Amino acid sequence: MSDARTSAWARALSAIADAEGVLGRVDAEFAAVAAAYESNEQLRSTLGDQAIPAERRQAVVEQLLAGKGAHPVTAQLLGLVVGAGRARDLAAIASAIGQDAASSQGRAVAEVRSAVALSEDQQRRLGDALAKAVGTPVNIRVIVDPSVVGGLVATVGDTVIDGTVRTNLDRVKARLS
Amino acid sequence: MMHRLAALVAEGDPTQTHHWLWPETAEIIYGGIASVLVFSLLVKVAGPLAKKAFADRTARVQGEMDNAAAALDKATQEAARIRSALGNVDAERSRLFAEADSQAAAVLADGRARIEAEAADLVAKAEADIAAAAGRVNEELKSEIARLSALAVERVVRSTVDDSARQAMVEDFINKVGAAR
Repeated sequence: MSDARTSAWARALSAIADAEGVLGRVDAEFAAVAAAYESNEQLRSTLGDQAIPAERRQAVVEQLLAGKGAHPVTAQLLGLVVGAGRARDLAAIASAIGQDAASSQGRAVAEVRSAVALSEDQQRRLGDALAKAVGTPVNIRVIVDPSVVGGLVATVGDTVIDGTVRTNLDRVKARLS
Repeated sequence: MMHRLAALVAEGDPTQTHHWLWPETAEIIYGGIASVLVFSLLVKVAGPLAKKAFADRTARVQGEMDNAAAALDKATQEAARIRSALGNVDAERSRLFAEADSQAAAVLADGRARIEAEAADLVAKAEADIAAAAGRVNEELKSEIARLSALAVERVVRSTVDDSARQAMVEDFINKVGAAR
């Protein structure tokens, strides 16, 4: 999907969530579903398969969110995206919704990649540290990425703070070469 | 005896002279006159012919002698020309030999110089190829060592970094970022 189409979808979904007063929650739940979608091959093949009827794909989304305490607006908006055959753009749409949600709160989005999941306390302290570093309050979006091996890399707008083992290994490789 | 026999015969034959050797005087006169006439006639008639024949013969002999002299002169000139030509041939042969020697020497020198230049080029190219190959092998070896070293480092790091180490890195990152400003 083009950036313009992704932005249009994100603006529309953000507007609905904001109108319902659950933008922050929808943002977090979209991000969680997008992360699950990106990391689960079976989920990708099911939700991204246009040959499967839209109702069936939407039912899969409902089953995925059932018992997770997801807000009904989130379920409805996710069903709308998947039913429209935009499951492959879920991560981009979730990211754009995150940007909209953060902007509406006067905050920035900090995308953090880590080899391990971060606790609530770690996310709070990391958010404070990044806000101190960039001078703006941030919404943390954590992506568990085993390829970083260890450490964290945080991206806030154009600012990248990289403390990953992966980057250090790449530097060692470059120096050895 | 013969004289007496002839005298006996003559006494009996009137056609016989008074001398066994000499004719009659009248016969001598008539014969002499006739001889003079015949001789004069011969001189007058045959003389010019003979003289002409002699002159012709003399002229022919002279002509032959002249021709012989001319032929001799011509032969002499031809011999001189041949000798001269032989001399020229010898000179030309010498000149050709000298020119051939000169050309052969030039060709030999040129060929030697070209071969030496080509040999020098080949040696230089071979040395450059050897140096390039050595450099290439060196670079490939370095690259392979670097690749293997990087793999070894990554394996060691991956086997060393456990969850507690990862949590420690997260805390270290948070503390460093928080302390940065």
